Amino acid sequence: MKMKKSNVLLIFAAAAMLISCSGKKSSNTEKIQGAGATFPLPYYTMAFKTYQDSTKTEVTYGGIGSGGGIRSLKDKVVDFAASDAFLSDEEMRSMPAVIHIPTCMGAVVLAYNLKGVSDLKLTGEIIADIYLGKITNWNDQRISSINPGVKLPNLKIVPAYRSDGSGTTFVFSDYLTKVSKDWASKVGAGKSLKWPTGIAAKGNPGVAGIISQTSGSIGYVGSEYAFAQNIAYAQLQNPAGKFIKPTLASISAAADAELPADTRTMITNSSNSKAYPISCFTWLILYKDQDYSNRSESQAKATMQLIDWMLSPAAQSLTTKVNYAPLPASVIENAKKQLSSINFGGKALHK
Amino acid sequence: MTKNVLFKSLLFAASFIVLLICGGIVYALVSGSWEAFSQFGVFQFIFSSDWDPTIGNEHYGALSFIVGTLFTSFLALALCIPFSLPVSLFIGEYFKGKKIANFIGSVIDLLAGIPSIVYGLWGFYTFRGLMVDLHLSSEGFGILTSSVVLAIMIIPYATSLSAEFFKMVPNDLKEGAFSLGATQYDVIRKVSFPMTSSGVFASYILALGRALGETMAVTMLIGNTNLLPTSLTDTGNTMASIIANQFGEADGLKLSSLIAIGLLLFVITAIINLIGRFIMKKFAPTK
Amino acid sequence: MTMTIKKIKDRAFFYGVCFFSFLTVVPLVAIIWELVSKGYKQINWSFFTESAPSTFEAMLAKQSGDILPGGIANGITGTLLMVCLAAIIAIPVGIFAGVYLAEKPKSKYAAVIRFIADLLQGTPSIIIGIIAYAWVVKPLGSYSALAGATALMIMMLPLIIRSTEETLKMLPGSLKEAAAALGAPYYTIVLRILLPSAFGGLFTGTLLAVSRVTGETAPLMLTALGSTAINWDVTAPTSAVPLLIWEFYNDPNLADMIWSSSLFLMALILILNLIAKQVAKKWRIQ
Repeated sequence: MKMKKSNVLLIFAAAAMLISCSGKKSSNTEKIQGAGATFPLPYYTMAFKTYQDSTKTEVTYGGIGSGGGIRSLKDKVVDFAASDAFLSDEEMRSMPAVIHIPTCMGAVVLAYNLKGVSDLKLTGEIIADIYLGKITNWNDQRISSINPGVKLPNLKIVPAYRSDGSGTTFVFSDYLTKVSKDWASKVGAGKSLKWPTGIAAKGNPGVAGIISQTSGSIGYVGSEYAFAQNIAYAQLQNPAGKFIKPTLASISAAADAELPADTRTMITNSSNSKAYPISCFTWLILYKDQDYSNRSESQAKATMQLIDWMLSPAAQSLTTKVNYAPLPASVIENAKKQLSSINFGGKALHK
Repeated sequence: MTKNVLFKSLLFAASFIVLLICGGIVYALVSGSWEAFSQFGVFQFIFSSDWDPTIGNEHYGALSFIVGTLFTSFLALALCIPFSLPVSLFIGEYFKGKKIANFIGSVIDLLAGIPSIVYGLWGFYTFRGLMVDLHLSSEGFGILTSSVVLAIMIIPYATSLSAEFFKMVPNDLKEGAFSLGATQYDVIRKVSFPMTSSGVFASYILALGRALGETMAVTMLIGNTNLLPTSLTDTGNTMASIIANQFGEADGLKLSSLIAIGLLLFVITAIINLIGRFIMKKFAPTK
Repeated sequence: MTMTIKKIKDRAFFYGVCFFSFLTVVPLVAIIWELVSKGYKQINWSFFTESAPSTFEAMLAKQSGDILPGGIANGITGTLLMVCLAAIIAIPVGIFAGVYLAEKPKSKYAAVIRFIADLLQGTPSIIIGIIAYAWVVKPLGSYSALAGATALMIMMLPLIIRSTEETLKMLPGSLKEAAAALGAPYYTIVLRILLPSAFGGLFTGTLLAVSRVTGETAPLMLTALGSTAINWDVTAPTSAVPLLIWEFYNDPNLADMIWSSSLFLMALILILNLIAKQVAKKWRIQ
């Protein structure tokens, strides 16, 4: 019957076409692949696209989660991983030497839904107690005492949290662990936790969605998301006693403090009096010795050049455009120093 | 002769590929879950409803998810059948070949083309509000919400194939029955159903399978509380959902526990299929 | 008396079927309508030809009240590439395996294979993604369209196998006997008589399988990774429409693109369906 023959021909033609297409490698372009955190995904997609347009290097990035990114790096199927949480000492022992390069900063803001309340001040202890279920109503004396002049309604507080494992949860819980002994002993810090109370939702949009639809709700959201969506968020009291609104300036200020040389630190509850207390870095992680599993030197160079560009003024100025905070100069200097330690089988890699 | 032999070996090879794939999956699942099972013990893991990811005190147990999966999937199938069966009869029996049957068939097939993440989003933004307005749920999340959306998602699988099977019932058999004074209803009961029961049942098993493994849509609607659900309005979690939610960030013991849950889902699907086949054998007339 | 009761039952059943069918279609149309109304604004020529916009471009557009620039060309090409690759393998393997199962109803080995097919159907897509990651991404050393296609291929198999088998089982045995009596060799009977007669069921199963994998996100995250550029290289990471939808979901400025992308997928399935029905009309023996 005609069907079988023409069908078979079609299939072969299609297969031949596909195979021939796949053989066609784009001329002389290096291809770099990275995977990891969803928090910086909007910024990275934009930054990498800009880099791609101005150089001949193709950059692919998949927002599959920090854990997925690190796994991919361990399996050596990507050139770099992106993560909101730096690798612990134990994790670093299980793989060849890596370096962490911070690329930009963000923060976790406390968004809320209270009609008529445009300015809300909160402290870390209050937030911890809300999420522990100890403070259950908005007109609680502890909240009203730091918000003089604000009419707080008699309304149940509905805390929202992330159902998916997330770097944002990690940063938020790290902060709570620092400001509340109760939280530290009962829940602790981590990418996913055993939350005592509240509603769970998937991703930033999930939490933001709950907040926008539920009166009396409060939830933690990534700053880049909150800023872009014009959600109402609270001012937090930092260790210096000041109530700070999260802005790009107050986020960057959190990094202008004592930092270790390899930048592997959480900058929540920063000692800087101008800093917003729940700020964080996000890092790109790559192997120090780039000579592994048949990597070419040009590939290693291309990777290094990309990361170097991420620290350049061109890239850093892109951050503010999309509501991420740029790195302060001291951190950039530190990061560049680290980047220069990249080698290819012992041989130093130069631009 | 050799062409026949070649052909028959091709057929066998195709079936063998399926076996290989399954073997590969089982191997990967078992080796991945080894760490979790050796840490917690197989029975402990299955029957513990404690899911504690706190660093330093990690303890994982699969019971809440097992219950959540079974609850939502079977409820979804139960909600789906009373609608899917009439529609497949509509398309395959009553209005077979007519334009309206084609139209409804196309609408149903369109449903299969909607990405699961979009079902989740639609459920999150639209359906949730409806559930709250109907006072069926406080925030709109929960077992009932997910089951209803799941039911909608599996309608195409249950309906389209069944409709095809109903269409295939030979006309002369039906005409013979009609000429003996049977009503359409009689014909469906005594002729079409018996002939198609194997196929229809198989399509329901496929639909159930789809529900058991559905990830994205459920994960957005079920509330993600890792507790044992006790009622329809409770929130809970399913096996596929917890894997999808936590896999991106999991490592070590947690990753192994998630893979262990995957293995358990595999096993549970197998058990359900076995039970299904057993039921079919019991109620099917000897062909 | 019995005649009237019979007639009443018959009518009641008929109205019941119509009523429930109507009840089913109404919410379905509501969902589809919502997708259309939310998504049609973004559909224009650049939707099909340009890659996804960055969050900044989207932000600017939102501020000036325009529709978002760019499109989902990188996702469309990726989806087409991977689904075609997956189908090229899954369809023949699935149909042949289905034939094998239908031809050997009593064999124990066949029972195992049948069982496995249903098992695969219930496996969460993310698990299949994990498997494809281990089998293709790791050995190849990179995320790739090939890995994505592998995952999709595995997910398509159960539907094709089981629908083929069940459809063949419904064919009257006289068909096979008549052909054999005419001296036709086995492979001819299967390829030229049985399969064409079973075309309806085969096609439905295939269509369902294709529809399902076109909308899958989780396995592709672990295998194809995604890409901002249009990519035809099967050994490189590729985007896909559901992957883009995931990116749009996580981005505060790109949420509007979700609906237009879903609309595209739905339209794609509709077109496939229409083509299939046309083809089925032409080549069905009935």
